[in-house]
Amino acid sequence: MLLSPKGASRSLAAVFTPIKSRGLVDEVCARIEQAVETGLLTSGQRLPNETELAAALGVSAVTAREALSQLRASGIIRTARGRSGGSFIADNVLPSRERALAQLHEVSRLQIRDLALHYQAIAAACAGVAARRSDAADVATLRSFIPAADDDSLSWRLALSEFLLEVAAIARSARLARELIRLQADLGTLTLLPCADSGYRGRTTLILEDVAAAIEAHQPAAAETGVKALIAATTDWLLTEQAKRY
Amino acid sequence: MSDTTSTAGPSAASPSAAPAGAGPAQASAERAVAELDSTIAGIEHRLAAWAADAGAALAAMSGKVTGTAVDKLIRPVVEDLVQLPDGYAAGAGFIANAGLLGPERSYIAWWQGPDLEPVDALANFSPNSISRYVKAEWFRIPVETGQAHVTGPYVDFLCSDEYVLTFTHPVFTHPDGPVAGIVGIDVTVQRLERGAMPALRRIGDRATLVNADGRAVASAASDIDAGDLTAPDEPCRHYPVGRTFTVWSDATGL
Repeated sequence: MLLSPKGASRSLAAVFTPIKSRGLVDEVCARIEQAVETGLLTSGQRLPNETELAAALGVSAVTAREALSQLRASGIIRTARGRSGGSFIADNVLPSRERALAQLHEVSRLQIRDLALHYQAIAAACAGVAARRSDAADVATLRSFIPAADDDSLSWRLALSEFLLEVAAIARSARLARELIRLQADLGTLTLLPCADSGYRGRTTLILEDVAAAIEAHQPAAAETGVKALIAATTDWLLTEQAKRY
Repeated sequence: MSDTTSTAGPSAASPSAAPAGAGPAQASAERAVAELDSTIAGIEHRLAAWAADAGAALAAMSGKVTGTAVDKLIRPVVEDLVQLPDGYAAGAGFIANAGLLGPERSYIAWWQGPDLEPVDALANFSPNSISRYVKAEWFRIPVETGQAHVTGPYVDFLCSDEYVLTFTHPVFTHPDGPVAGIVGIDVTVQRLERGAMPALRRIGDRATLVNADGRAVASAASDIDAGDLTAPDEPCRHYPVGRTFTVWSDATGL
């Protein structure tokens, strides 16, 4: 094995990073949270018991039990005992402004900037390829994700993330799409905050229309610039908001 | 659809405009096309037969269709399909149309990979799960038209996040009744490419397998990637493959 001038290869270090045993539990929780956010599971709805959940998701009963208890601790589900007992999706479970603000105050400006850079790099790569590969049906689907100005902030947040995923779908790159999904998960509920601001919604609508037009007209450079501006609009909003805390 | 001479492709012109001096080279190309066609038509025939069997079995349940019963009916077939050595199926399954199990309810019995990982199974706990599928091309088109359909190649966010083709076929419990659901097989472009490349190279060094929209699925040309829009570089031979695909002996990227 070759060593780099300063010692062991940096890429080798990752091999020895401990593997997190909580990975699967977190994954199950993330799936359920996502099902709630996209409206597939709704407040008050009964969840399957741990055996059924384990079978459905292809995990062990132990993993399902741990996931349920983690969801209970974070207030996503509540459990009732007795004959009509079981686990239910909690009442005010949708991502709330309060929770998003708490998250915004936990992260550093450096983290937001760095995440935005990564997000822009991936989204721009998608947009460039999408502009080369788009057809009329692709563009029609993409435009269907541009939300109306008066949609609520939850629908806006969902529509924005779906819009970028559609750009990745038009690019037809599985790797870039997976990376985009991971980045959106890292951003968490933060993106809910700007969506409540009508000024941001107005600016964003124009950018979304520009991106769709560039992808339709097969203009890679314009499409890249557009998605970068889209992500910058979000991060600038978040950084401005966060600065008020200091 | 007939075996090696199916004609439903959009550019189903018979092999035409053959360059002068063809002969043995063209005979070899035609054998290569026949191989590709038998692969893709094979998937289509298997799916049609499965749809017929599943429809008959569901009809025999006479209105008492449950999720467990559907799983029991579908899973063994999926197991055969995905575990077949050198098979093309990365995943397969059945999705119920609204009405089969409940008014707004769908039911997904779909598995992927050799370990039969369940796909989208959380949706089965949702009372409005049909909303998840009605807009998807692989569900909507066979339900609306009552005909088989191939979707893609596209990035499949619902299952594998892979670049795939999804072959779907409507399932009927009564010959002219509403569509009860669809059966489908996911074929990764990766796997299809591996099977198609030797044949494509025998057809020509720019031979390209394209879908009905002219989008490349696999190409012998190094400047054409799966997913690129392409056009035939005339004069070039057009060979129909399966119900909807075409091989162009000489393609160019758009």
